[in-house]
Amino acid sequence: MIATLGRTLILLALLAASAGALVGFATGARPGAVAGWRWTRRLAYAFAALMVLANLTMEYALLTHDFSVSYVAHVGSRSVPTWVSIVSLWSSLEGSILFWGLVMGIYVAVATFRHRDDHPEYMPYAVGVWLACGAFFSFLLAGPAQPFAAVANPPVDGPGPNPLLQNHYLMVIHPPFLYSGYVGMTIPFGLACAALLVGRLGHDFIRPLRNFLLLSWIFLTVAIVLGGWWAYEVLGWGGYWAWDPVENASFLPWLTATAALHSALLVERKGVLKGWTTTLVIATYLLTILGTFMTRSGVFNSVHSFTQSAIGPTILVFLAAALIFSVVLLTLRVDTLSAEGRLETGASRDIAFLVQNLLFVLFTFTVLLGTVFPLVVEAVRGVQMSVGRPYFDRMSVPIGVALLFLMGVGPALPWGRAGREQLRSALLPPVVSAALLTILGVVLGVRNAWTLLALAFGGFTAHVTVGELLLPVRQRMRAHGEGALEAFRQAQGRGRRRFGAYIVHAGAVVVIAAVAVSSTMGSSKEVQLARGETATIGGYTLTFVNAERIREPHRESVRARMEIRKNGHEAGWLYPRMNQYENQREPIGSPAVRTGLAEDLYVSIHNIDVEAGSVGLLILINPMVCWIWIATAVMALGGLVTLIPSARGAAAAARVEASTAPLSIEGSS
Amino acid sequence: MPTAASSEAAPPRSSRINKRVLVAGAAIVLPLIAVLVANLGRDPHMVRSPLVGRPAPPFSLQPVGGGAPVRLESFRGKPLVINFWATWCVPCFEEHPALTAAARGLPDVQFLGVVYEDEEARTQAFLKERSSAYPSVMDPDGRTAIAYGVFGVPETFFIDAEGRIVEKFVGPLQRSTIAELVARARGGRP
Amino acid sequence: MTRVALLSIALLSLPAMSAPAEPPPSASRAGAPRGAPLSGPELDARTDEVGALLRCPVCQGLSVSDSPSSMARNMKAEVRDKLAAGYDQEQILADFEHSYGEFVRLKPTLRGVNWLVWFGPLLALIAGAALIASKLKRSGSGPDALPAPRSAAAVDVPDRGTLPDDPRLAEAMRRVRELAYGWPGGVPPKAGASA
Repeated sequence: MIATLGRTLILLALLAASAGALVGFATGARPGAVAGWRWTRRLAYAFAALMVLANLTMEYALLTHDFSVSYVAHVGSRSVPTWVSIVSLWSSLEGSILFWGLVMGIYVAVATFRHRDDHPEYMPYAVGVWLACGAFFSFLLAGPAQPFAAVANPPVDGPGPNPLLQNHYLMVIHPPFLYSGYVGMTIPFGLACAALLVGRLGHDFIRPLRNFLLLSWIFLTVAIVLGGWWAYEVLGWGGYWAWDPVENASFLPWLTATAALHSALLVERKGVLKGWTTTLVIATYLLTILGTFMTRSGVFNSVHSFTQSAIGPTILVFLAAALIFSVVLLTLRVDTLSAEGRLETGASRDIAFLVQNLLFVLFTFTVLLGTVFPLVVEAVRGVQMSVGRPYFDRMSVPIGVALLFLMGVGPALPWGRAGREQLRSALLPPVVSAALLTILGVVLGVRNAWTLLALAFGGFTAHVTVGELLLPVRQRMRAHGEGALEAFRQAQGRGRRRFGAYIVHAGAVVVIAAVAVSSTMGSSKEVQLARGETATIGGYTLTFVNAERIREPHRESVRARMEIRKNGHEAGWLYPRMNQYENQREPIGSPAVRTGLAEDLYVSIHNIDVEAGSVGLLILINPMVCWIWIATAVMALGGLVTLIPSARGAAAAARVEASTAPLSIEGSS
Repeated sequence: MPTAASSEAAPPRSSRINKRVLVAGAAIVLPLIAVLVANLGRDPHMVRSPLVGRPAPPFSLQPVGGGAPVRLESFRGKPLVINFWATWCVPCFEEHPALTAAARGLPDVQFLGVVYEDEEARTQAFLKERSSAYPSVMDPDGRTAIAYGVFGVPETFFIDAEGRIVEKFVGPLQRSTIAELVARARGGRP
Repeated sequence: MTRVALLSIALLSLPAMSAPAEPPPSASRAGAPRGAPLSGPELDARTDEVGALLRCPVCQGLSVSDSPSSMARNMKAEVRDKLAAGYDQEQILADFEHSYGEFVRLKPTLRGVNWLVWFGPLLALIAGAALIASKLKRSGSGPDALPAPRSAAAVDVPDRGTLPDDPRLAEAMRRVRELAYGWPGGVPPKAGASA
């Protein structure tokens, strides 16, 4: 019954998306077809509504433990708490694709609604592209990844979802962020395709493109770091990033999206790099599909990937089609996006942007090459090999440090060509901060050359970033004679985009510095302790008090009670544990972390014996790790600051510009 | 006086093929698709052993329950089947009867169990509970497992009379598979 | 397991790239130690460095140094013993490769097509830099090949400080600029910065 309802909803969504894609393209080809645009919109809303209903149907089945629905039989269980049943929607392959459809429906509906009255020549094409992508995911749900297949003899109870989901809340919130980042890239992709199809990328059309790109970028940034945080809190090896194929899959579109956000600024300000920006946006979407394939095909050797199924080949067909479509579209249409302005040569912000873009693309290429390379070698040499962390660290550290440098130098340079005197006054003061931070690093014991370089550039960039954040405030104070607070309020209210962008930069500087310090300055110890014994590391004394069993409804755990003293003072307790879930053979470790601003004390269990009262522990001191999480939140916040008012400001600006003519770009056509 | 002229107002230039984009796009996209297609259906977790066709790594290990060390060289002259297993491994119990039956039915073939990351007492209890037709040895610190390139248990190596590894099998064995692989070990290299 | 300086590994292990062109024959397995026996803190540090180059077979992604699994700990113990006995990094890696195949090396050697993974990014960097240089050269040489006349471009480019003569329009423009670009009072920051 529920299974049939779900299948019907999916089929209708497939129908709506396919029809909407066709109507959208037909309308785009005949500008001014009002009825066609109305129908395109209706079908887009219908697709979204059907996806919402299909997801609600699945939630209903999960909550009522309707094991006649195949997905519920696969991941449901009567013994798990209700919240686990709810989030089981995205705990396994088929459900995650259904959830993907939900996110996609919401994005398509919001983007269509928001731009229902603007950009009439672009929007039908854009909605057509979104719905074509939506049609593919509906097809996937209707066939290879059917979550609503009927189960002939429903079991009385199911096995429950992947225990990793129940083990830590971060695994619950990570997928929605990741999908919001991934799926959101469909919107700028559709807008970029529309610009190519129309043959124009105007001053005002770059704004919706940039806004949706930025929104998805915020989600993706948070998702990547949540993934790292989860790995840190759960996997027990003390790190947050292992260059695993699935981690790389989320990082690749982030890199190209970051590049595109910057080159879009040049499109907006100077009318240059239109074809390049479009290419980056399209590449970002293609990399999200590649990432989807990587996580769902079983071809890549990864701990995180779902198991193999018919879904892999289907996604590969779509990926190949999307890749070929994009190359053909760019080949035929990229030259129609003619530049309006020129790039400055010589030392200028323009050049910094170009080099920044080059480095981000190089970074993307390197990570993609390293991730795919074992497959190349298997195909060419017939040998199984690995490309792991030593490779990625080696390649990414210089690129990352260079990007940090550019993040400081770029904003310090003027948009136009800079004179010698100007360069000196812009670049010299930050050098003082660079030197101070480097000296501080040396005093605190940093000896690694790359870390010191990261600190030097970090100091430089932080100086420039704070300077740029405060520049409008100082200007207002001078021009309007306002007090510092009032000037700040006014300046950030009026120049929020710029303000938000520098907040993102400030966060990024801290993330890079924290990564550099935490990966080179930690210390560790492996110990085997009997009851009452202590271990010492870097000023901490850890006493193993006892081992105990804990029973909870859905799991049984063994934990070690560790008393912590820091420099002789009491510093609380830590309880690293091993969780044993029903229906699962292997226990899942759960390290205990004492988070601090300067450093984390990280304790994970190797082995534990309650009866004998012994425990084997891995103890780590990880400096500055929590700054990665804090600074990422700052980055996301900066992104939001940039996003929310700019949407309103841009619309207002476009209206005023259209009515006042001289700066009119799209309005006069 | 500013003018309202804008390059955007000009009609879009007609479509023409950008050959550079085509070449660059094809150079990235086609090999990528080819590589992904070529690897589709391959399980990257099944890593082929480079030891197949090479001499088996030597070892000298204590039997479960004590006794003189068991050495690889002492099995020269007849085919040898080395099974890496543990009591905590479910597929290992599943294949245990098949291995026991094969050891009884093939007296000219030597079977040997190597216990992987397990305690001797638990292993002894396990073997006492079930009948076993061949010896098992302890592998402290997993050194022999590492020398044989073991990824997990169960994994089984089929070695010919000259001490050369003929085949490596990953996962629980069926009786018929054992017979087939032993036949290959008897005939030297397949 | 120390979270050793990953970056320093990256720097230090340059010599490892000049690996033999072919997989080592099995005979090299029991060769004479080529390095000096290590002990103390130096042994700990080197164990972590060499372990970081080995893939933990059961975790598939983490290195032997990073993985908390018992197999990785056993492998690390073996690395330590070999270093203490004076075997050098390449001998140890070759030894593990003998058992596990090239798969076990996390850092690709320079065999066959593997050079591509190391030098591909370098080639891409050179190609990209050349592309930018050529673009700038075109952009910098004389007036643009675009139909837009120079005088129009001078007004159109949004970061110019030019304002219309009509005071009402000029005020509107300032408001637009303030809103759209965040210039306080609609005046471009660093006046006169643009050439």
